[in-house]
Amino acid sequence: MTECHGLAGLVPTAVQTTGRVVEHEPMARDTMRLRIECPEIARQILPGQFFMVRDPRVTDPMLGRPFALLDTYDGPTGEPIGVEFGYIVVGKMTELMTTWRVGDECEIWGPLGNGFPVPKDFENLALVAGGIGQTPFLAVAKEALGHRSYGDPLRQLSNFPQSVSLSYGARSAEYLAGLNLFEIDGLDLEISTDDGSAGHRGFVTELLAARIAGESPPDAIYCCGPEPMMAAVARLAQEAGISCWLSLETPMACGFGICFSCVTRVRLDDGSWDYRRTCVEGPVFPAETLVL
Amino acid sequence: MANLNVTLNRLSLQNPILVASGTFGYARETAAFIDFSKLGGIIPKTVTPQPRAGNPPPRTIETSCGMLNSIGLDNDGIDYFIEKHLDYLLSLDCPIIANVAGHNAEEFKQLAEKLNAFPQLAAVELNISCPNVSGGVDFATNPELTQQVVSTFRNACDLPVIAKLTPNVTNVVEIAQAAADAGADAVTLINTLLGMAIDWKKRKPILGNVVGGLSGPAIKPVALRIVWQVASTVDIPVIGVGGIQSLDDVLEFLVAGASAVQIGTASFYNPGLAARLADELSTVLDEQNCESVSDIVGTLVLPEK
Ligand SMILES: Cc1cc2nc3c(=O)[nH]c(=O)nc-3n(C[C@H](O)[C@H](O)[C@H](O)COP(=O)(O)OP(=O)(O)OC[C@H]3O[C@@H](n4cnc5c(N)ncnc54)[C@H](O)[C@@H]3O)c2cc1C
Ligand SMILES: Cc1cc2nc3c(=O)[nH]c(=O)nc-3n(C[C@H](O)[C@H](O)[C@H](O)COP(=O)(O)O)c2cc1C
Ligand code: FES
Repeated sequence: MTECHGLAGLVPTAVQTTGRVVEHEPMARDTMRLRIECPEIARQILPGQFFMVRDPRVTDPMLGRPFALLDTYDGPTGEPIGVEFGYIVVGKMTELMTTWRVGDECEIWGPLGNGFPVPKDFENLALVAGGIGQTPFLAVAKEALGHRSYGDPLRQLSNFPQSVSLSYGARSAEYLAGLNLFEIDGLDLEISTDDGSAGHRGFVTELLAARIAGESPPDAIYCCGPEPMMAAVARLAQEAGISCWLSLETPMACGFGICFSCVTRVRLDDGSWDYRRTCVEGPVFPAETLVL
Repeated sequence: MANLNVTLNRLSLQNPILVASGTFGYARETAAFIDFSKLGGIIPKTVTPQPRAGNPPPRTIETSCGMLNSIGLDNDGIDYFIEKHLDYLLSLDCPIIANVAGHNAEEFKQLAEKLNAFPQLAAVELNISCPNVSGGVDFATNPELTQQVVSTFRNACDLPVIAKLTPNVTNVVEIAQAAADAGADAVTLINTLLGMAIDWKKRKPILGNVVGGLSGPAIKPVALRIVWQVASTVDIPVIGVGGIQSLDDVLEFLVAGASAVQIGTASFYNPGLAARLADELSTVLDEQNCESVSDIVGTLVLPEK
């Protein structure tokens, strides 16, 4: 059963539109960055929100696929006119997307979901990413460091964190995507790879554990990545008493709350749990509310 | 301009394009994408007497030109529906057709009595055909049970009644006849086709519930065949549903004999579709020199024997 009120991720101003591919570049092995012109979505989207994308020419694949906002980009007048996202090729749709050329059209609807909390109440914000789960953090970091604003009207932070770090783990160096994009003034970037081909050898959770044990431990953690990794991050945060939010990558069929396929188990006040729709109640949840 | 009004016994609609149950949430979720006043009717997700958690994920998986689902009637129960969703739905500028399911005739009676208090509802659709719930919800596999459930509901509720039937039987005509005999105002054809998806490398079914219902463009030929069979043999208005994603699809169903249609899975991947189809229908009817929708319903010409 699913409570249908106070849906934090239901966006009353979302739009369905035809987007146009204006850039399509490799970011890493099997990983591409797409830039899509779609002003109605770009103008209002916030860090941690997502959109659904599909190819209107085919019905196999048929359903849209969810992708997180990597960043918006501006047109000649200085207004956001499009969105960028990074994707890793894992199946039918992402394989098809690799054939999209500049000028091609796609169907896109959004912005969807709640996004990460406004980073105005924290001193040391730690972003923790596993694999392609890094994509939401470019916009999060830019906003938290005062380099870019998002939303309509533009969201102005009343307070900025003193420090923002990104701990980013990947399988190996060749999968580290868009590191140049993350060369942002003030962002403390740390890398880990499973095989040690770049940065720390081991899990990204080890980088986080070291940070928590360090001199200025985070007072907030935003995390996105594979579920076992997010569960481990949630445990570390809980042990240290640090607020932690997870962005789930639950498979979705519609992205806006009408199919009830994207459910995750959310704890209720009475200690039991209930299935909740990730797309309209998330995708970002306080870690302690989830049954992982 | 062609008149888009359609009448299905006691049910009158401003146009024949409805949105199907379970594929439109409780309407609230789609407000950003659709002007509800353009739709012929909205059928919210199935409601049961008691709350149901639904099936474990994964609940859906895409298949070739379609998808399987095993949502399992995840809903908060009829009382919650009445308290939290119905006011909103009835405030929309569009006919609302509630959709309900029960485990037995007694439960359908309870549901009927509760909904009878809302004459603002345009009708009630009985989901006697959900393939995702074990324990007797599949009444529409049996003509006697179909007749029993439909008449029980009719006797306890003054609203027009629509029976939604399953294709997972040998002969749907028999079931549709039973629904007609029991006094249903219309039948909706079809619910999903039972299917399965397997991850052979893991030797595991992909859906949490092992099996699920197939929907989307892949099932359109089956839906058309069943709509045609029932419409040409049983004296009851038919609402066609199954794989509709374009205006041509809508017209195929009307020609096959459907008096109205429902847009299902296509709303997932084209959120604004149903309203656009309703907008465009009159243009095509004008081009075909049809003054009303009924001028094209059931106009299929069969080859001479
Ligand atoms: C809110 C949100 C944001 C996201 N943001 C991003 C992002 O920014 N970048 C990104 O790359 N991804 C992102 N994702 C994930 C992305 O949506 C999926 O990777 C994408 O849908 C894959 O589509 P596909 O058709 O290529 O793969 P699919 O064919 O749908 O397959 C997806 C996965 O399921 C497996 N699978 C598919 N079919 C089967 C089968 N028959 N049996 C067993 N396993 C199967 C595949 O191996 C693959 O791992 C996000 C997800 C969510 C929910
Ligand atoms: C995810 C999903 C959930 C559904 N839930 C319901 C439901 O709750 N009640 C119901 O009567 N039909 C339900 N259906 C069936 C649809 O209303 C429709 O009959 C069927 O999907 C065929 O039409 P389509 O191919 O256009 O989707 C559901 C279908 C899907 C795909
Ligand atoms: S993806 Fe359809 S309800 Fe969440």
